[in-house]
Amino acid sequence: MNNADGIKKPRKRKNQISGFLYILPALFIALLFSYRPFVKTIINSLSIVNYSGTIIDVAGLDNFKRLFADRNFLTSLTNTFRFAVMFVPLNLLVCIILALLVYRKRKGTAFNESLFIMPLSVAMSSAAIVFQALFNPTIGVINFLFNVQVQWFNDPKWAMWVIVILCIWMAMGLDFLLLVGALRSIPKEVLEAAELDGSNRLQTFFHIQIPLISPTLMFVIANRLRDSMLLSGPVLVMTEGGPFRSTQTLVYQMYVEGFKSGNYSMGSAISVIVFLLSLAMIAVSFRFERKGVFYQ
Amino acid sequence: MKRLTGTRTIVVMILATIFGLVVTFPIYYMVAGSFFSIREFSSFPPTIVPSTIRLHNFQRAINESPLIRFMLNSLISASVGAILRIAIATLSAFAFVYKEFKAKKLLFIVILATMLLPADALILENYILISRLGLIDTYLGIISIHLLAPVQMFMLRQIFKSIPITYREAASIDGCGDVRFLIRIVTPMSRSIMLIFLLQSFVTIWNSYLWPLLVTNDTTMRTVQVGITLLSYAENLDFGPVFAAISLVVLPSILLFLVFRKRIVEGVVSGSLG
Repeated sequence: MNNADGIKKPRKRKNQISGFLYILPALFIALLFSYRPFVKTIINSLSIVNYSGTIIDVAGLDNFKRLFADRNFLTSLTNTFRFAVMFVPLNLLVCIILALLVYRKRKGTAFNESLFIMPLSVAMSSAAIVFQALFNPTIGVINFLFNVQVQWFNDPKWAMWVIVILCIWMAMGLDFLLLVGALRSIPKEVLEAAELDGSNRLQTFFHIQIPLISPTLMFVIANRLRDSMLLSGPVLVMTEGGPFRSTQTLVYQMYVEGFKSGNYSMGSAISVIVFLLSLAMIAVSFRFERKGVFYQ
Repeated sequence: MKRLTGTRTIVVMILATIFGLVVTFPIYYMVAGSFFSIREFSSFPPTIVPSTIRLHNFQRAINESPLIRFMLNSLISASVGAILRIAIATLSAFAFVYKEFKAKKLLFIVILATMLLPADALILENYILISRLGLIDTYLGIISIHLLAPVQMFMLRQIFKSIPITYREAASIDGCGDVRFLIRIVTPMSRSIMLIFLLQSFVTIWNSYLWPLLVTNDTTMRTVQVGITLLSYAENLDFGPVFAAISLVVLPSILLFLVFRKRIVEGVVSGSLG
């Protein structure tokens, strides 16, 4: 015993140091690119910062007061929520329909699935350019197909819809996979028992399938609400916030304030709001989950 | 589950196929459009099928823009980034399973919790840092914020935990050190998930847009996703060369996707649930 202890002790200390060395790169990057900027952004949002990123003075909550008095910011805030309200439910609906169509294995399901998840292989900026062409008011396929004359990118009523449709197209591959996986994991016996008890398809869907896949539903909703708070890419590529600021979102405004106007204090204040909102979305979803979700 | 029979199956199959075609139409249009002439792009009714297979647009995209250079930049940053990312995640996952050190649990949470800090909201400060370090227009700058993949670390830790501890004991008795144990035993045993993570990271970095847009100014350092949005053809409704460029960029990932479909599906699903 003594002997074993004697060997163990120096090895343990060596283990301590080498163990720490192994996680050092990850820890270093976490501190450098996540925690440091996080703290710095909060500090900047409470200060006056010059265009080279140096703090000149303390501002307290002035930046936030200015922000909430700013029409422009309120527009970004409303637009971001408007996007979330349009995107999240519609995306869920589309993905549930797709999942219901193929969750029972039959001939051709694998083929259909491949088609549904194909958009996952296209990057945002590529997809955005293709959608720009599809929705082009004069030469676009969409206006022709539906026989309409919508000025998609010049009409404040419609520009956000193009972004919503593009985002659904990009999101549905993953969400569809998650939902179809959840539907398939429901034991056959449960569905058969329901059928024997005379439950029709609709009843089975609302009273058995929906409750049983609710954890996945909540995951998808929480994730997409959070993504909505962070929307910027398609705005940058397709609309640059226009027309008439109708697609200007929070992260897009943060980008403009920070990089175009060199206004780091305001940019950081917006970052803090975005950060709080994205956390709030997750928190709300989890709270809701505790009440409404049925776990097996 | 009862197999669907008769007309209902047929209706479901038809519906699923119609939806599938609608979903993939933009991809088809992108590929078809790269063969369109300018006239075909501006025709009414819009052209759906190119009249001939002409490579004119591809030639223009390659000759008139630094497309090849863009692709090279993306290729370098995505592959180096993906390798560093898996290496960093593997090392820390390994330590969290096989090593004992102070504040292990806390440090694990510290690294994992970076998941909650959205990169896009931190981008201003990270940009200032990168520019102060003089890393604007460098590959390291492009890769930097992608180096940590907390979800991958978490998943790898779960997998390493499932390797029986007797392997570790047997290896130590045979005088096999940590590094050799990691390279010779742990890595081969988790090869398939690591491959998925490599692919996933590659695609993440290859597809990223906002960050490389910020940290590159020089045209020769632009990544492909940023580069294609800077091709000015689209303003003149001359989408042909842009579509050709996009097709060149997207086709490899579609092929990869079809070949590795099953694995990517597993990876995507498990990765996002991690």
